[in-house]
Amino acid sequence: MNSKENNHSHHDHEHDHAHSHLPSDPELRVKAIETLLLSKGLIDPNTLDELIDTYENNIGPQNGAKVVAKAWVDNDYKKRLLEDATSAIRELSYQGRQGENMVVVENTPEIHNVVVCTLCSCYPWPVLGIPPTWYKSDEYRSRAVREPRKVLSEFGLNIDSKVQIKVWDSTAELRYLVLPMRPIGSENMSEAELAKLVTRNSMIGTGLPENVK
Amino acid sequence: MSRLHDMGGRFGNGPIPLYKNENNKVEDNEPTFKYDWHAKAWAVTLAAGALGQWNLDISRHYRECLPPKDYMNFSYYEKWLAALTNLLVDKKLVSLNEIKKFVDLAKTNNLDPELIKNIKLDQRTWLAKDVQKTLGWGGPSLRSTKNEPIYKIGDDVITLKHNPNKDVKGGHTRLPTYAMGKMGKVYSYNGSHVLPDTNAHGNGETPTPLYTIEFKAIELWGTSAENENDLVYLDLWEPYFNLNTE
Repeated sequence: MNSKENNHSHHDHEHDHAHSHLPSDPELRVKAIETLLLSKGLIDPNTLDELIDTYENNIGPQNGAKVVAKAWVDNDYKKRLLEDATSAIRELSYQGRQGENMVVVENTPEIHNVVVCTLCSCYPWPVLGIPPTWYKSDEYRSRAVREPRKVLSEFGLNIDSKVQIKVWDSTAELRYLVLPMRPIGSENMSEAELAKLVTRNSMIGTGLPENVK
Repeated sequence: MSRLHDMGGRFGNGPIPLYKNENNKVEDNEPTFKYDWHAKAWAVTLAAGALGQWNLDISRHYRECLPPKDYMNFSYYEKWLAALTNLLVDKKLVSLNEIKKFVDLAKTNNLDPELIKNIKLDQRTWLAKDVQKTLGWGGPSLRSTKNEPIYKIGDDVITLKHNPNKDVKGGHTRLPTYAMGKMGKVYSYNGSHVLPDTNAHGNGETPTPLYTIEFKAIELWGTSAENENDLVYLDLWEPYFNLNTE
């Protein structure tokens, strides 16, 4: 029993945990809260469907891949992207929630960029969608800043010791997208073909684009 | 002192949980939501947030304030759900008794569809027809102010040794412990942004100059650094550091 009276101000809620009353099965927990909010008219069931459908089908790494492919074929666009990523990405109609202030960092033969959020799981939603499980894991969040090379090797990516690694810890509301290097042998490929080579992990810095077959 | 969410640099965590195919290559095609309840927990949190009773910084702080035992045991979306439950009660959108009632109904498999039939939506409720518009707007933290940044690009700075949040003990901040008391260099200036340290406690947005600060890995990790040339960048608000005059 929690014997302590909660007479603190609203932001000091350490002694009063409503969540401790939730059932242990997370599925039941969600169901209970969802039904309660629906019964009070505080959420619209169609809104939940619309949100889930949007991020399952329309907003995801396929968007970022188009940004990257365009930067590979269009030098002026690449310049705009590196100078003002938010505007350049908006040219392709990707904008909004969790991508309000975008920064694009470019990989070169000398520099490899990696993105992490050590404090939570900040991620550029409009271009990459919802982060994968590993990105939200304690393992990635704790280790990526201290031993990025070892972490990348677990992804199968071995970075030469002469290449400098830059880790970007998303501690504010800037959201980072890595511009990977264009794969060798892709000179004759169209923008649409190039976009298919761009993997999600290559835009976080934990992978590379697919090789040209 | 910090909380468990502040885990950058921590020792003890094992390999990154990755899915590999039969050729031992990392799979890069995880579905958006692994389970239906993940999708629901995520969507319910977004929809409840749209009621306007709290901001992004408040919801982050609620997740950080989960008891350490729960923070460690809960999976990602369980943390979201727990923090949401606490917010709903604290902000009086629902009562603890209502939570208990619906939990009992859920446990006994008695969440009758009748409970949610022909419900009149609250005036504040986020409607499906507005979803795309609202997502497109997002919630920018950049504010137009007359603030002049004190520091310029290339300035040598040193971060505070302790939590910069002066107003609230154990309060919210976005200066990670691993970067406290460390020397860095101003890499870029990003305009004035809402200050999480005040906004997370309902104490106003306090738009404050935000910079990207470059740290050498060897400054952060000493001899544990993997490579002396590697760098780490953090986005830090002006009160998080001082000019390093040494």
